[in-house]
Amino acid sequence: MAMAENPISTAIRSIDRPVLFAAAFIVVILIVGTAYTLITQGNAALLSPTYLLLQLKVSAFLGIVAAGAMLVILLGHIDLSVPWTIAASAMLATAWGGAGAIPVGLLVGLGVGVFNGLGVAFLRIPSMIFTLGVNVVLRGFMVMLTGGFSPSSEPTDLMLLLAKGDVLGIPIPVIIWAVVGIAVSFMLRRTPLGRYMYAIGNREGAVYLSGINTRLVLVAAFAMCSMLAALAGLLIAGYSSKAFQAMGDPYLLPSIAAVVIGGTNILGGSGKLSGTVMGTILIVLLQSVLSVMQMPEAGRQIIYGIVIIAMLLAYGRGSRLRL
Amino acid sequence: MAPSPAAPLLQLRNISKAYGGVKALTDVDFATGAASIHAVLGENGAGKSTLIKIISGVTRPDAGTVAFEGREVAFATPQEANAAGIVTIFQELSVMPDLSVADNISITRPPRRLGLIDHRAQRRRAEELLARVGCEDINPIERVRNLPLSRRQMVEIAKALGRNPKLLILDEATSALTAADVERVYGILHKLRSEGLGLLYISHRMHEIKELADTISVFRNGRHVETFPTGTRNDEAIIGMMIGREYKNVYPPKPVRAAPPAPVLEVRNLGWVDRLHDISVTVGKGEIVGLGGLDGQGQRELLLALFGVLRGVEGSVEVEGRPVKPGSPAAATRRDVGMALIPEDRKTEGLMLPMSIGDNISLTALRKLTRGVVIDAGAEKSSIAAMVEKLQIKIGSVADPVATLSGGNQQKVVIAKWLLTAARILLLNDPTRGIDVGTKQEIYRLLRQLADQGTAILFYSTDYDELIGCCDRVLILYGGRVARVLEGEAISEKNIVSASFNLAASEAVPAEAAP
Repeated sequence: MAMAENPISTAIRSIDRPVLFAAAFIVVILIVGTAYTLITQGNAALLSPTYLLLQLKVSAFLGIVAAGAMLVILLGHIDLSVPWTIAASAMLATAWGGAGAIPVGLLVGLGVGVFNGLGVAFLRIPSMIFTLGVNVVLRGFMVMLTGGFSPSSEPTDLMLLLAKGDVLGIPIPVIIWAVVGIAVSFMLRRTPLGRYMYAIGNREGAVYLSGINTRLVLVAAFAMCSMLAALAGLLIAGYSSKAFQAMGDPYLLPSIAAVVIGGTNILGGSGKLSGTVMGTILIVLLQSVLSVMQMPEAGRQIIYGIVIIAMLLAYGRGSRLRL
Repeated sequence: MAPSPAAPLLQLRNISKAYGGVKALTDVDFATGAASIHAVLGENGAGKSTLIKIISGVTRPDAGTVAFEGREVAFATPQEANAAGIVTIFQELSVMPDLSVADNISITRPPRRLGLIDHRAQRRRAEELLARVGCEDINPIERVRNLPLSRRQMVEIAKALGRNPKLLILDEATSALTAADVERVYGILHKLRSEGLGLLYISHRMHEIKELADTISVFRNGRHVETFPTGTRNDEAIIGMMIGREYKNVYPPKPVRAAPPAPVLEVRNLGWVDRLHDISVTVGKGEIVGLGGLDGQGQRELLLALFGVLRGVEGSVEVEGRPVKPGSPAAATRRDVGMALIPEDRKTEGLMLPMSIGDNISLTALRKLTRGVVIDAGAEKSSIAAMVEKLQIKIGSVADPVATLSGGNQQKVVIAKWLLTAARILLLNDPTRGIDVGTKQEIYRLLRQLADQGTAILFYSTDYDELIGCCDRVLILYGGRVARVLEGEAISEKNIVSASFNLAASEAVPAEAAP
């Protein structure tokens, strides 16, 4: 038994490596970007608190989506309905308007999530297919909604405040992101639900035979994922002062990339929220610095893709035990 | 040129191998000849697996030499060993469940025509090889997933023969086989021996080895203890060599009862599609009731039906007089039912291998260990520690992944997680498969101890000895029905075998001296 110990215990000790890697890479991005601005503009604009806070604020939207996506990925599933969950919740919330806007938006998320969960847990349709279908259906509904008559797409004052306001200089979206992050991390580490989620990601059959209602766990994870996407949708609508059809599209793949760069196993079973947070910041910062450096769009895409692959090469392989 | 009987087919000299600081093999000399069946015995961790891995080219020794057919060899990969004529059937099945039997058998070098796989030739080849292992009834185009475990293992053997071995190594290859298949495998192995093959055979089943092997080698703690011809040492001596101490009282004594105990689990007329018919069984408080018979006669289904895994189960189940209808494992484990199931395959059904030992043990009991919505870390830690202590699970740290443990200790973790629920009905599906003698003994003792504390135990085993040694009563299933119920002195190998094949009851008399 001692024979197999070394490679495996090394793998376990390396669990926090993704966080360190991502943090180191974030520093590298800032150094390279600052060197560029020092040479071309003679200042270190990237290190100014204003710039960094703005990046955190932009990260918050992606970060909230990624925290939800991580829950589903931990189970070994995926939620591809995120883009139109974001759009649908924002559009319905603004159309409803008034004090009910935010609850309506979150309820839309809850509804989509429970529906996804039921489809995956009870009908046993692979989540990749089922959520892809739900995404398209949601788009159809939204086109129907905006086609016949044109509802309001103006966010309410509260939505504007939550997205654009700040407390003691800290943007409110960042505070919301922090609260979400702490709650999700607490749930994963300290509650039975969190433990069941890791366990299901490793071996669903064993968890089922342990007398645990695995279907409920699946539904709960999808519901939380969609509600967090809906929350992000409300904030994004406030931030852009408008809810619009394609607003969720830029969030799907970056959120999955953030989760995976943060060290969560794409096949489920292991990963930490701290990694997902770092992955989110890395992605947002990389995109921003590349545009500051006036990299043409094509070059930005290439570098972005290479970075994701390189990060995964660095620690993504072998983190899964070969069993 | 064929080696003369004097020159061994395979000769290992001064082989040592260490993993990290742990010595798996120390200065081992070992030889095996052609046209013989050579059994290698030892507890888990004795170095058998490392020995096999070195011979079959999976790993290389740190020191020492390997000579095959008189020439020194150093295999870098299993493919090189295969090419030289050394083929190994490993304990873990290597068949792909979603490919057909024929695809699996020809997986390394499928017959080709014009560069494409010739499916017809492949099917013919599969038929020939299956016939060679006496499994003409397996359809080559059947998907392996649809075959029971024991048939999969026969496919594995057919696949190995397809590589024309000179030395065939069977590493626990019969642990999933049922009595009927084991007989067939004996026949095949004897035939292969007469064809001049060398066979290395690793098994934990003593009576198999006595029946099968010409020569026995015993390993302990990475050293080669002794090699001797079969029949020159008695069981106690052999087992003593393996564990390095006296080996007595494998099975704890059975209690003598004046009256039948109060029933805990009462099953009446249980049926499930065409696999289970009219099964009635009562398990009393503190009783160990065995399930025996050939594999695939419904034993597994019976346990799954009781545990709520199967849909559409007919008949009635009562727990302590209250009717229950477990519709899912979640319902079956609820406190008012209190069942626990040690599943057939610990790696896929019992454990989350990459997760920690502690997480695995506490999984079933998390609800009890939760204050509000938060897991009580202190209570969790102490109940895990209590289980590790109680079952004497050999671990470094409870934070290590359970995959780092040996098979026997993994099985203890599975048992531990169920003991934590304080189940009153324990269902066991062949819990000692592939486990070393020492751990088996501990499990037997634990079962009897649990029974003495009032647990009702329903215990399916493919090993007759266990049924005879452990059980107060044994139900023999045949074709999804209870063929016979054996009790007391009537639980003998002869009766079990005759009932397993559903022979007339009159032929089965109580054995004069039950072992």
